[in-house]
Amino acid sequence: MAALGDGDFAALQILLKAPSKDAVRQLCQECFSSPPAALRPLAQRAGPGLAVSAEEAEQLVFALHNLTRHVVYRGLTRAEDILCLFPENFHQNLKNLLTKIILENISAWRNEAQASQISLPRLVDMDWRVDIKTSSDSIARMAVPTCLLQLKIQEDAALCGNNPVVSALTVELSKETLDTMLEGLGRIRDQLSAVANK
Amino acid sequence: AADKIRLIPQDFFAELCEQIIQHLNHKIPGINTAELCQRIQTSGVDINIGDLAKIANSLSFLFSTAARNNLSTEELVTTLGSGVSPLPKHAVQVIRHVWNEQGKAIAVSEDAGDMATVGQFVDMKWKLGVAMSSDTCRSLKYPYVTVTLTVADTAGQITDKSFEMTIPQFKNFFRQFKEMASVLETV
Repeated sequence: MAALGDGDFAALQILLKAPSKDAVRQLCQECFSSPPAALRPLAQRAGPGLAVSAEEAEQLVFALHNLTRHVVYRGLTRAEDILCLFPENFHQNLKNLLTKIILENISAWRNEAQASQISLPRLVDMDWRVDIKTSSDSIARMAVPTCLLQLKIQEDAALCGNNPVVSALTVELSKETLDTMLEGLGRIRDQLSAVANK
Repeated sequence: AADKIRLIPQDFFAELCEQIIQHLNHKIPGINTAELCQRIQTSGVDINIGDLAKIANSLSFLFSTAARNNLSTEELVTTLGSGVSPLPKHAVQVIRHVWNEQGKAIAVSEDAGDMATVGQFVDMKWKLGVAMSSDTCRSLKYPYVTVTLTVADTAGQITDKSFEMTIPQFKNFFRQFKEMASVLETV
């Protein structure tokens, strides 16, 4: 995550033309959340509100995206650390406003970054049911308890964009296989406790 | 499918038939199509897993129907020969051999485990990891659990499904399983 250049800070001062503090706040949030590919359309939407050219709007949006992402990447949480990112001659009030907005959002933004990082498909839901098989075409009477488990798994959000693909995996477990599973899960739990205590 | 069977080398075809018979006999939980396909491809044969799966399904159906009708080896070979597109000679040889050795032993099973209407759980592998850093956060320290479930689908084909859970999700996952086990006990 490259640090910001002079051009970026010059572009940020375009925010002085913003109609209100809330408009600045809104734009900061949109610039952080937007992936690089969606910045140009965002600039086109934001430009008119700031009464600037399309080119200037684009420079601003990219700069704001870089600034917010840089703060999250470095994990900066204190006002002093954010303030000293700005050059000496940067507009004082704007600097304070941007720092304030960033501090307000930093924890939500960090969560957003973690949630959208690359990963294997994620478990999003699980449902289960215990049945008793009482008969079939080959066996007239029986009483076999069996468990049906349905896991809903969502493919990598980063790959699917706004239309995440969720697939359902339905699995049948007998008492034996369920015990195998429990044993495995118990070991994970033990490992977690061991790691947490370090 | 017959023309694709032609591509599979004899020893791999024999292995496939073996696995199918063993699965029908409940000696193994499923047919490891993916792994077999990988090895066939490594040996230089251009076959994809979809085709191999279709072949496995057809053979499975062939063997189980033959078992149900108590076909002798000669009857089975005759039936094969009377099909629309004849199987390659080496394939018929393998089928004849496998059926001779093990075909009669396929029990028309009385086991309740036979009613596979959904996937059957075979195995679970897990990993506990901590994501240290990413392109969005230089210092993450984000713990997560990765699980790979091995499942035999209704046709007996084995597939793996992997997914990730956060720690709170894992705790809930574990809790649900304990509850399932206690219900299974008492039911």
